[in-house]
Amino acid sequence: MISEALYQAYLGALLRGERSRCVDLTKRLLEDDDVAVRDLYLDLFQRALYEVGHLWETNRISVATEHTATAITEGLLTLAYPKIFMSERKGKRALVSCMVNEYHQVGGKMVADIFELNGWDGYFAGGNTPVSDLLLEIEEKEPDILALSVSVYFNMGALYGALERIMKDHPELKIIVGGQAFQWGGSDIGQRYPGVDYVPSIHHLETLLKEYEH
Amino acid sequence: MSTEEGLSTLCGSALGRYLYEKASLVLMILDESGRILDANRYASELVGQELRGRLFSQVVIDFSGRFDFKEVIEPDERVHLLNMTSSNGLPQTLYFSFLRQHGRVLVVAEHNHLEVEELRKSFIDLNADFSNLNRALQKRNVELSRVNEVKNYFLSMAAHDLRNPVSAICTLSDFLSDEAAGKLEAKQANFIAAIQKSSRFMLNLLDELLDIARIEAGRLEINKRPSDISALVAECVELNRVLAGKRGITVDLLAPSAALPSIDLDAVKIQQVVHNLISNAIRYSPDDSTVTVGIAMRGEAVEVSVSDHGPGIPADELEKLYKPFSRTSVKPLDGEKSTGLGLAIAHKIVLEHRGKAWVESVVGKGSTFYFSLPLQPAEKKGELR
Repeated sequence: MISEALYQAYLGALLRGERSRCVDLTKRLLEDDDVAVRDLYLDLFQRALYEVGHLWETNRISVATEHTATAITEGLLTLAYPKIFMSERKGKRALVSCMVNEYHQVGGKMVADIFELNGWDGYFAGGNTPVSDLLLEIEEKEPDILALSVSVYFNMGALYGALERIMKDHPELKIIVGGQAFQWGGSDIGQRYPGVDYVPSIHHLETLLKEYEH
Repeated sequence: MSTEEGLSTLCGSALGRYLYEKASLVLMILDESGRILDANRYASELVGQELRGRLFSQVVIDFSGRFDFKEVIEPDERVHLLNMTSSNGLPQTLYFSFLRQHGRVLVVAEHNHLEVEELRKSFIDLNADFSNLNRALQKRNVELSRVNEVKNYFLSMAAHDLRNPVSAICTLSDFLSDEAAGKLEAKQANFIAAIQKSSRFMLNLLDELLDIARIEAGRLEINKRPSDISALVAECVELNRVLAGKRGITVDLLAPSAALPSIDLDAVKIQQVVHNLISNAIRYSPDDSTVTVGIAMRGEAVEVSVSDHGPGIPADELEKLYKPFSRTSVKPLDGEKSTGLGLAIAHKIVLEHRGKAWVESVVGKGSTFYFSLPLQPAEKKGELR
């Protein structure tokens, strides 16, 4: 359980670019309070990043502050890796990727980590991934699920282009999509690309994984 | 815009006040000698100190020693790339223009925001790449450690479960060979000898597999006690002389006449090392040759060496000698098979004693295997291995 006071302290440090303070608070949660990684991801990292994004969108912080907060968060994820990767394996693989020109990768990476927490091997192909690179990754990792993340609505065109290529080469591959871009539209993607599921939240993702495992 | 009365004149207008108080732009007014008469808020905050009264050359970082104020204020409208000191200790690169008017110099300097933006983007990309690599590396480490655990479990289980039946085959074939169950015909004796030889090799291999599994799992127990290493080496030499004698090989021991200091070591494990080196030397030695075992003080360590006159090891194969399951192109001269584990185990045991192991070899002349053990454990002296 992450207290409101701790969350506010963390958010303040994040906005001021105080990386070491953020590291201390995260370590305290992981090591002293034994907070579950899932709670840390959703109730601290995700909540804070959504708030930072909102502050930027409403012109209350600069893009530089937003980028610093994101970079700090990416560094903090590594603190949880020892716990994340030690989860019991289920023999399933997921490949998570962001579209070309999509530099907001932290959401996608967190999704890959959520796969790990659920016992899947969650491989992360990275931000700004051209579809040709993604196809090579699919060949190499042979995932059970491909998850594509889009943060900026402007990049939806790249997503559609990628889906057409991937579905042509891998018609059997289960594909899910998600990310902040869908709050502006596109959540009916399944109608345009049958078989492709829009996953609006981590909770929905975990429900889908359970269904898929059975 | 007049520079006659300093920046206060600029402040008379709305634009002037903005430039003086709020703009992210360096503005200074200098006299012709380069002394700063006035500076806006941004300039003072960037440098982190009062600028009025100082020389312009004092706030410029001049690595080359060639900065010439007279030259930069030449009226040629050039933009000068200069570095300024800053409050956070990091030099700031700005693009400077020097505008002369009425005996004053108006200095205007700004960052190139496209350049800064490019830098920011590069750092973001770099951070993302490092962070992704870090994730992939941590994931791979966990995967490798899982595979390693499975391998160790398999090694240990296979060795345990196989050892008992093989040990029984070994013991019972010894009984048969000693004719405890009746006299053997020549053909039967040959078969029994083959069973003995194979089962001994398997038993030795299984013991070494168990050792490797313990080492890999970090469960190699070292029980150190003060010991007389000379006596320990001499005992090994004596035991191996029997084996060597069958092929006419002499094992010489060169030890100092004065007693060596006692060393904290695990006698059983170090005997395993010495035995491994001597038995290897015998196996690779031609019949009727000599193996020489030496023991000597070398500074703060005791050095043990075992030399043979065998075929020697090619230089490019020396590196893999201490790796488990690795074999060189050199074949033993006693016709026995090698497990490829003995030296790896010996090496690990020496390292666990904070010692060193190495080999010198010349093809066609022979090899000398060395190991040395510190008189005191390194950690007591604050050393690292």
